Amino acid sequence: MAQPLLEVHDLHTVFATKNGDVKAVDGVSLELNPGETLGIVGESGSGKSVTALSVMRLQRPGKIVGGSVIYKGRDLTKATEGEMREIRGQDIAMIFQDPMTSLNPVFRTGWQVAEPVRLHHGLDRAKAMAVAVSMLGRVGIPTPETRARDYPHQFSGGMRQRAMIAMGLTTTPKVLIADEPTTALDVTIQAQILDLLRHVNRDFGTATILITHNLGVVAGMCERVMVMYAGRVVESGPTVDVFAHPKHPYTWSLLRSIPRLDAERHEPLKPIDGLPPDLIDLPSGCAFHPRCQFKVERCSRDTPVLNRVGETQLAACWVTQSGAELKGA
Amino acid sequence: MLIKFVARRLLASVIVVLGVTAVTLTLMDRTRGAYVPGLDLNPALRPEDIARLRADLGLDQPFYQWYLTWLWNVLHGDFGRSMIDGSSVLTHILERLPNTLELTLTAVVIGILLSVPLGVIGALRRGSKTDHALTVFSVAGFAVPQFWLGLMLILVFSVTFEHYGWPWLPSGGVTSPFGGGDIGDRLLHLIMPATVLSFFYLSLWSRFTRSSMLEVLSQDYIRTARAKGMSERRVVYLHGLRNALIPLVTLVGLELPGLVSGGLIVEVVFSWPGLGRLAFERALQYDYTTVMGVVFFVTLLVVAGNLLADVLYAVLDPRIRYA
Amino acid sequence: MIDPGQASALELPAPAIEGGSRRPAQSYWNESWERLRANRIGVFCGALILVLALIAIAAPVFSQFVTHFDPARQHLSDNFRSPGHPYLLGTDELGRDTLTRLIYGGRVTLGVAFLTVALSLTLGTTVGLVAGYYGGWPDDILMRVVDVFLAIPAIFLFILMSILFRPNAITLAAIIASVGWGGVARLVRGEVLSVKQRDFILATRSIGARDLRLIFRHLLPNVLPVLIVAASLGVGQIILIEAALDFLGLGIQPPTASWGNMLTNAESYFFHSGWLVVFPGVTIFVTVLASNLFGNAVRDAFDPRLKTH
Repeated sequence: MAQPLLEVHDLHTVFATKNGDVKAVDGVSLELNPGETLGIVGESGSGKSVTALSVMRLQRPGKIVGGSVIYKGRDLTKATEGEMREIRGQDIAMIFQDPMTSLNPVFRTGWQVAEPVRLHHGLDRAKAMAVAVSMLGRVGIPTPETRARDYPHQFSGGMRQRAMIAMGLTTTPKVLIADEPTTALDVTIQAQILDLLRHVNRDFGTATILITHNLGVVAGMCERVMVMYAGRVVESGPTVDVFAHPKHPYTWSLLRSIPRLDAERHEPLKPIDGLPPDLIDLPSGCAFHPRCQFKVERCSRDTPVLNRVGETQLAACWVTQSGAELKGA
Repeated sequence: MLIKFVARRLLASVIVVLGVTAVTLTLMDRTRGAYVPGLDLNPALRPEDIARLRADLGLDQPFYQWYLTWLWNVLHGDFGRSMIDGSSVLTHILERLPNTLELTLTAVVIGILLSVPLGVIGALRRGSKTDHALTVFSVAGFAVPQFWLGLMLILVFSVTFEHYGWPWLPSGGVTSPFGGGDIGDRLLHLIMPATVLSFFYLSLWSRFTRSSMLEVLSQDYIRTARAKGMSERRVVYLHGLRNALIPLVTLVGLELPGLVSGGLIVEVVFSWPGLGRLAFERALQYDYTTVMGVVFFVTLLVVAGNLLADVLYAVLDPRIRYA
Repeated sequence: MIDPGQASALELPAPAIEGGSRRPAQSYWNESWERLRANRIGVFCGALILVLALIAIAAPVFSQFVTHFDPARQHLSDNFRSPGHPYLLGTDELGRDTLTRLIYGGRVTLGVAFLTVALSLTLGTTVGLVAGYYGGWPDDILMRVVDVFLAIPAIFLFILMSILFRPNAITLAAIIASVGWGGVARLVRGEVLSVKQRDFILATRSIGARDLRLIFRHLLPNVLPVLIVAASLGVGQIILIEAALDFLGLGIQPPTASWGNMLTNAESYFFHSGWLVVFPGVTIFVTVLASNLFGNAVRDAFDPRLKTH
């Protein structure tokens, strides 16, 4: 088995607020292999975006207070800012949720797409623009030579997101982190963008981390998935397995809460009761226990550790680690 | 696209200028009955002469007729004649115009050149001692009366310095009455008035630049720029400042009337022979026609300046240009 | 339509488990007031203004018991006295006591300033509410009018008006307000436009509320914070304008004292009696500074989103 491209070990990122420290990332570990697609799923506030930003060391004003991020044998949490700048945009690229606000409104799109390759590979303006135009074409933007001279606000949402993806790929990075790339888009465009990302992963061999709150997106795109809750990883494993037999009550409840076409007419929906926890004042023991229908006494006392449950999956749950099955109405 | 935008703004400007003429003339209408005060007391003039004088000046016409005549004249460059000595108002205006422009433009340039760096420093070092000092400075700057600042500067740099035999700054006029006139002399005379005029705006614009910068730096595209691996300098100055300056252009445009107003006060305190001082002196002598002409002309300048600012804004912000 | 009697028979899902924060809810006004009180600089400046206003109102009392001088009384043989006894801040060219004149001058200046703010706010708010709420051509026309007034450099308009209408304190306030209302109108209109979009307006209208009710009970309270901030910040500027007009001789005329007109002839005697220039100027500066700081505090308290600290 090849060496993992990117490893995160027990990462802790904290935001200081006047009401206390928000533990946005509370002991997260993950592995990304070359060419792999990993999905990070969770609701708002689960820490998925901050984890990605921490890898890039863009988590300000938060602070990384523990753990390590190993890339190419180096711990990125200890790298200098200069070293990080080499890596950002060149080895690890990140694209963001809202392409309208994520692109600078006063510069032409082609110029922005060409910027990483101009800075990192030292190409002159003409060559860099040629690369940008070619990449814009490859991500499916028609007449890229003329479109490159347009400003971001002249693009439609889907086209803008394609341009952002192009911007991330011009330097042929090893890792592409996509933070909710489809959330701000119409459903039909979503499918197109996901398709594009799949092709990118296949044709360029770029390992992709896809961050989303949408289980359907993960199912369509990612080989492996990691479920986060309250800043912690609660389950991870191959997508097929996690979806077929989830080993954590949160994942289980999430999958169950999706409305199904083949459900009975009068069957009520099954939302997860309660609200996500306050990250300053987390519940004792397992962060999910107040909302969990499977909880036992230990759950409110001891924080569960991520351990192997079943053949391919890891889950942080006392109940499933002791062998119980998750079943319910 | 730019043409359409400019055309629209031009039309709006014309409407505003017309509106201004309506307001000023409506105000002046009040005085038509009292025009040329003191004439009645002149024993050399018979009542018929006075009546003829008034007819000449069009003072016995109905308002709309008077207004239209005035407008017509103005469009042909005839701003009327001074009521004191009959000289052409436009001549006086054009004489003083360069001085006012010199003062105002210098103040604007000083204001912008100093505010932007101060604002950027304040934003980048938010919360630091430097930032607090700058904030205190700008808050204080808002509260200082312009005319008083002028007086105090004259007191210190002209009067006191001269008294102690130190090199002192001239306290009035554009150039020295004797042996002056060169660039150095003009500059010496310009320093204090321009400083006083720009002082208030320094405070305002530096605070504004600071908050504009802070807002821009919290935008998503700044995060994207960092994620692309750019140096912080490039992120802040190329991607950030370029966006932060756009609203400043609008602000400067909006402040033009205030600048010109302040200019009047500075011109009076420093005996600067500009349009403001012209209006003031003539007002004290009840030379209504001259005052009216100056008010109109000055407003024209301000509206033109605003138009320029709008065009500049469209040039800088492609979202406006390619709406 | 569900009959209220039937409501209890419906099976509604059980309420969500309490997981939110436990901080108590407060009304917007209470919260803002709390924030303002917590701002020490703001409170200090607000108190200072209050004290100055009180002194100004009680001017006759002060002149009687503290300084023992009448503001118009001349003591020609005692002119240009330096600060000391019995003239606490010295005398001017006609031998009038500076301190007393400053106190009476405060009456005039502060009085004009507050009156101007009141007038300007009233007119500006009305115009802004109407223009913002109704939109369409009333909005266009009103805003063009505002544009006209904002385009004319204020001082020039004031000069014109001052020579046409001999100003006393009240007309001076009207004159200054006649230009200032434009800015308020624009501000209010902007707020109304943004509040108008919000869903609660739509909801209120859908239950049949009439226009006037909407404007006064729903729009106005939401526009009020912006007004309060504008008023607090505006007072300082108005004091400066008024002082400038008085200084030029176009506002309050002597012998009535005002901080501005105490400086009118300053140039001619400030070399030997510099304090005559310093005191009124410093008084203006301190008052405006306090007013600005208080205005900032009010703004920070009522609209913390704007805070960039």
